[in-house]
Amino acid sequence: MERFVDEALVLSTVDYGESDRLVTLLTREHGKLTAFAAGARKSKRRFAGALEPYMRLRVQLVETRGSTVRLDSADIVAGYYGAREDLALIARALYAVELCRELTRDHEPHLELFELLEAYLGKLDAKEAGPTSLLAFELSALAQAGLMPRFDSCSLCGGPPGERPRFDQAHGGAVCEPCGFRARDAVAVPAELLSGLRALQEGQRTPLPAELRARARGVLNVFISHHLGRRLKSVDFMAQVGLD
Amino acid sequence: MTPDPLNRLVAQLAKLPGIGEKTAQRLAFHILRAPGEYAQELSQAIREVKEKVHLCARCFSLTDSELCGFCRDNRRDERTLCVVETFADLMALERTREFKGRYHVLHGVLSPLDGVGPEQLRIKELLTRLGDGHVEEIILATNPDVEGEATALYLTRLLKPMGIRVSRIAQGLPMGGDLEYADQATLAKALSARREL
Ligand SMILES: [Zn+2]
Ligand SMILES: [Zn+2]
Repeated sequence: MERFVDEALVLSTVDYGESDRLVTLLTREHGKLTAFAAGARKSKRRFAGALEPYMRLRVQLVETRGSTVRLDSADIVAGYYGAREDLALIARALYAVELCRELTRDHEPHLELFELLEAYLGKLDAKEAGPTSLLAFELSALAQAGLMPRFDSCSLCGGPPGERPRFDQAHGGAVCEPCGFRARDAVAVPAELLSGLRALQEGQRTPLPAELRARARGVLNVFISHHLGRRLKSVDFMAQVGLD
Repeated sequence: MTPDPLNRLVAQLAKLPGIGEKTAQRLAFHILRAPGEYAQELSQAIREVKEKVHLCARCFSLTDSELCGFCRDNRRDERTLCVVETFADLMALERTREFKGRYHVLHGVLSPLDGVGPEQLRIKELLTRLGDGHVEEIILATNPDVEGEATALYLTRLLKPMGIRVSRIAQGLPMGGDLEYADQATLAKALSARREL
């Protein structure tokens, strides 16, 4: 049974039995892992406060039989406490970790995604990440996972999206008006939405107006749930508490 | 071969939290050996807890009448309301004998990753309760984890515009504790929540 040390971001936790906890980690070197934290619920001292979503930890892990690993120790490297003092920041951070959890598979290294999430949590913590930042983070995370919605050209003919474009999650992005009849699920979207999302994809960080953000949220929700096969839970939360 | 009724009792007891097969057997034998009225009273108590205990119509703690003891007690200060996640948390606060106001039990916390939103908690009922204008201060006593914090922040957003004073229970080092052995998260919180003397 091999023991190893890694850096990890906590994606989620779930109580296991009377006294233990299962922790889903995105590690720097080993990708996503599910770690068994024995006694994490009973003994407050051993992992105190460390096994919370979006904590950055230095962890000692031990390989066990099966796909789970055992968590031997966890030191907090960054608690992102600034991002725990505001409901909008909490909502964005939880959405970001849930997206990363759903986009990755166990034991597959995702160094870029780790660094992307780490950088985004740092920005939230410094209160430098407004609602548009979440859209930008999502687009980057999707790109890392090989899911890059196409906004600059028609997904079917490759031509310009035109003045009255549509968006079709099944075909992977924008669809021009003439191709519309071949994409039955496509919904009409404003042309400036596509150019706004394209700008975010290219790394521009100009905040989008609230109305466009709401449309972007809708487009990304259907895109993500189409490709993951389910809707993210924290996105409903954001809608319920009226945040983005 | 053990008799079936005994097996059934062991199986039921083993379903209780923290009770393994062996302990369940020991408990079952104890019940078997005890005087007959003990088994009577035990089964009666178990039946009654399900039949008679329900949620208080006002604060959603547990009671066997329309309103719970905390809501009926006129000596308790109705101007201060303490909001907790669970009935167990209410009992913990009650054990301090420090709090003389009234309670409101949410029955959970906002949990974005589990899909638990405001509608699944007793938040609407809390707002309705405030309609009579008696409450002046609300103490938010949810747990100091990300879900408890999110719940407290969400409630603050709803309550502040109503002109109610909202406070959050303090977080930090345990009494009689040793700084050297405090965990990082608690110590960090204690530092950031320091107060001027
Ligand atoms: Zn086309
Ligand atoms: Zn009551």
